[in-house]
Amino acid sequence: MASPPPKSPEQTEKSKKYDRQLRLWGDHGQVLLENAKVCLINATTLGAEILKSLILPGIGAFTIVDGETVTEEDTGSNFFLDYDSVGMPRARVATQSLLELNADVHGDYIDETPEHILSHTQNFFNKFNIVIGTSLPEKVLIPLSKHLWEANVPLIVCRSIGFLGYIRLQVKEHTVIEAHPDNENPDLRLINPWPELKVHLEKTDISKLDNKERSHVPALTILYYFIKKFQEHNNGALPRSRSDKDEIRKMIQESAVCDENGVQILEDNFQEAIHLVNIGINPQIIPTQLKKILEDDCCTHLTQDSSPFWIMCAGLRELVQAEESLPVRGTLPDMASDSGSYIALQQIYQKKALSQSEFVYRRVCQIVTDLGIQQDIISEQEVKLFCKHCSELYVMRGSCIADEYEKNSPDLSVYLEDPDSLMFSYVVLRGLERFLGEYNVYPGHLDDQVEPDVLKLKIITGKLLSEWRCTQILRDERVHEVCRYGGAELHSVSAVLGGIAAHEAIKLLTHQYKPLNNTFIYDAITSSSATYTL
Amino acid sequence: MQLDRTPCVLGEEARSLVKEAKILVVGAGGIGCEVLKNLALSGFQDIEIIDLDTIDVSNLNRQFLFRKEHVGKPKAVVARETILGYNPDIKVKAYHDSITSQEYGVNFFKQFSLVLNALDNRAARNHVNRMCLAADIPLIESGTAGYSGQVELIKKGVTQCYECQPKPTQKTYPGCTIRNTPSEPVHCIVWAKHLFNQLFGEEDPDQDVSPDSEDPEAKTEDGHSMTDTGNVKRISTRQWAQEIDYNPTQLFNKFFFEDIEYLLKMENLWKSRKPPVPIKWEEATTDGEKTEVKDDDNIKNTDMKVWSINKCAQVFAKTVDVLKKELSGRNFLVWDKDDQPGMDFVTACANIRSHIFSIQMQSKFSTKSIAGSIIPAIATANAIVAGLVVLHAFRALQEQYERCSAVYLRRKSKFSKFVLAADNELQKANPVCYVCSPKPFVNVFVNTNTMTVKEFENEILKKQLNMIAPDVVLDGKFVVVISSEEGETQANDNKTLVEMSVVEGTVLKCDDFLQNYELQIAVNHYEAKEKDDPLFKVAVNPEDLKAKEDIKNGGANGKKEENHDEDSDDEPTIVENPPEDPQEGSSSKRRKLNPPEDSDDDLIVLDEIIE
Ligand SMILES: [Zn+2]
Repeated sequence: MASPPPKSPEQTEKSKKYDRQLRLWGDHGQVLLENAKVCLINATTLGAEILKSLILPGIGAFTIVDGETVTEEDTGSNFFLDYDSVGMPRARVATQSLLELNADVHGDYIDETPEHILSHTQNFFNKFNIVIGTSLPEKVLIPLSKHLWEANVPLIVCRSIGFLGYIRLQVKEHTVIEAHPDNENPDLRLINPWPELKVHLEKTDISKLDNKERSHVPALTILYYFIKKFQEHNNGALPRSRSDKDEIRKMIQESAVCDENGVQILEDNFQEAIHLVNIGINPQIIPTQLKKILEDDCCTHLTQDSSPFWIMCAGLRELVQAEESLPVRGTLPDMASDSGSYIALQQIYQKKALSQSEFVYRRVCQIVTDLGIQQDIISEQEVKLFCKHCSELYVMRGSCIADEYEKNSPDLSVYLEDPDSLMFSYVVLRGLERFLGEYNVYPGHLDDQVEPDVLKLKIITGKLLSEWRCTQILRDERVHEVCRYGGAELHSVSAVLGGIAAHEAIKLLTHQYKPLNNTFIYDAITSSSATYTL
Repeated sequence: MQLDRTPCVLGEEARSLVKEAKILVVGAGGIGCEVLKNLALSGFQDIEIIDLDTIDVSNLNRQFLFRKEHVGKPKAVVARETILGYNPDIKVKAYHDSITSQEYGVNFFKQFSLVLNALDNRAARNHVNRMCLAADIPLIESGTAGYSGQVELIKKGVTQCYECQPKPTQKTYPGCTIRNTPSEPVHCIVWAKHLFNQLFGEEDPDQDVSPDSEDPEAKTEDGHSMTDTGNVKRISTRQWAQEIDYNPTQLFNKFFFEDIEYLLKMENLWKSRKPPVPIKWEEATTDGEKTEVKDDDNIKNTDMKVWSINKCAQVFAKTVDVLKKELSGRNFLVWDKDDQPGMDFVTACANIRSHIFSIQMQSKFSTKSIAGSIIPAIATANAIVAGLVVLHAFRALQEQYERCSAVYLRRKSKFSKFVLAADNELQKANPVCYVCSPKPFVNVFVNTNTMTVKEFENEILKKQLNMIAPDVVLDGKFVVVISSEEGETQANDNKTLVEMSVVEGTVLKCDDFLQNYELQIAVNHYEAKEKDDPLFKVAVNPEDLKAKEDIKNGGANGKKEENHDEDSDDEPTIVENPPEDPQEGSSSKRRKLNPPEDSDDDLIVLDEIIE
């Protein structure tokens, strides 16, 4: 639509400020972002960098939970803690300077440790759309992870130590309507067209057209005509293989006629038809991923607590059962043709898409009534968007971090067969956490303790690997290397990780694009990264 | 007490190098702000920053050193102040200036240990590339576009240079080009979009469509600008349009006749250019065949065809009317390429302007693809890339160049689904690169009968080959064709190449003193035959041009569609979401999956980077 509803001056200013990002996630994504409440636990360098990249694009509000005071070391690598603030509560100083980044964002802080909050006001974290934790010791991480898993609040855990980085997403269930696939083919339905489309396409007999008429036929009609021709030559068989497609291309090519000067020409629209052969002939099938979603328990057994996503899935499911196909996307690629023919064709697609989304919407309304929940929970507009993107629907079911640590020992041996695997960095990081839990300090933090710490860390990682029934061992130099870090953050590594973690948070908050599933490891020495599902 | 911010993690050698290093950051935009912060927090003590731009509202969603109250101020200056506010102990020098200015010669570059590019346009990138090659200073080049980005090292004799591989065409344009001297369809399209906003959209002073009398090129010899000679700023375009109730004829005559007449008065602009031809409503609507624009005809039919001037005028009148009605009761309209009246309006206006300036007119389809491409920019991608830049800087300072292979953020490719992935090795220089090879050489294809020396200098040497102040002599004949000395070869300016004995087979020796760059140019006589043919071409190897043309002729939908087709060609049936679609595989896989050298993925790699 060209014309938005009248906007207040404030919104105008906002849309200007956010112009470059609205092009990525749209107004509806921005609305979700602006309504989001984000909690950061520990305003470390990494924590502040993550929050910075969320405040700039305009989340609604943030809360920093941090029981520490600012140290001199902090001010050396954290842009949001200045030297004069040494000794003051880190939560307060960071909140104040981060708030300067964007006047539209609200922020507050709690000058308490996360342990304290967990033991006193357990439900404190439930009000957030996302909780992000940095430098969490195991004794906080495990209960927090369990609590947020139960409360169904997404948790992102991040670590930045020396040249190593780690990001772990914990989401019980996350649903995506707009996955933004890199490639998207037009949805044409030339194989098995619905009756109205079929009647329309069959009105044109390409062989009976004069030159002027030929140049006005949309490529779709041409392609459909030659698919039919192909079927006539092949006992009704549909074109499937590459050579079938080549045959159709050849048929189109050979239909070229001579112009008034006797020169053989193939008009633009016929060339377009040749281009469309590849993508236009595929039968429309329901992607397996979507089939799974439509058969999912959440879709077949709705409750009053079902999310709009699943209610819309249930509506879609009824349409698919009734019509044995997905809703038509309703948009056509641009084509050379005369206006009348193109518009007629376009209207047939739009009408179909509209009637299908109306069907789904009616079903959704019925379901909502039957469930006895609020009528306006899902708008017709949302159903339209949902139907348009139905082939990209995506459901991610994650795993609980506490389980990864306590119950299911991860099966890492497959990865560890490659001596360069970044999974070794995961082992190191888990070792560091355990070290921290046992000794309350990072290995190598004190200059005179480096050698003894190396030994201790070797023992810890050895134990971890045997707990996980892995036969591989950690190379000595890896252990030496992390002990050299002494637990210190390198600002640029935290900058990289902060951007990546913030971006995952944006994906979760806007429900667009597929999030990382679920563990991300970054090695800044080799500039490489990897994602593992743990 | 001064805090030692050099991280212990770096090790002794690196720490002392960081403390002594002098760094030049070129650009204080999205990446530049982040890079400055990272440098200041990594122990760097001596930083210089240069940027020509001033701060705009649309920068604030990512350029975090700037606040609302800084809008309109120079980026470099404000960035410096904010950084010093955080850490007053370091030395930061700011230049509010263009890096291509003559003041920043090879000796300027030589004083730095490293140059970090954080630029938004190719011309400046090319220039800094040459300066760093000439000064033999390592350069770290970076860019982002939407979610993607990349970082690479450029070091003479070690890696490829920025210009080793031909890049797709540029996308940002100076204001005077848009307002005064358009030379490509895209300039007219940008202008038409600005016109839409002036009339119906949100008014933006940066999007003025009237002639720019402050154009440095338009200044007369005695340095006077045209401001005092007319074009009194009456009222805003919007106000005036409302006063005449969006009368299409009056609007048409103002933008396509009166403003053009005014431009013609800036005589300096047309000394080496073809002057525009103003057109009046009456003339436009009698020109060519009569095309009725019926009410129920929403123009879609002709998307692929180029409209006649008459049709453009009719569409202009009709869409002005439609948009005027849409506007009533609202504050403004938002232009959207997918919205028909807005898109039709832009197509019509861009084409009328193209006609006036003798520029190739475009179909609505092509106009839409050009008009719709704005490069999105977000904080997260800039933060990631800037972090990578400074990590590369640590390695480059220690001369560990082999560890500085290019790193990509969310590279779009069928091979790589990693968030971050590095090349296995440094990209080798192209042995026939016309910039960094030992004897730079290039072929140009121009119409030697019609192209003037001045056009050759502006269009070929400056715009295509990115020289700043070239000297050109006929090889072996010591005839000076173009001199960088003011006025020395002015007499040649309006002569055609043939008149200067520059013909098919001529070799020209070009020398850009500022860039310390010598280039031999082989001249090929060439005449554009088809309407779509470019007016001139530049290539090291004429064979390359053939390959490009084949792509171009591939289909009306252009390259993107073409690749798209080819992708699915190998898998003839159904494209479906893979069951598990992580953004990355495991690290071991990555090594095997690194794209082969001849992969055309490099075509996609961002260059059109806004920040
Ligand atoms: Zn080169």
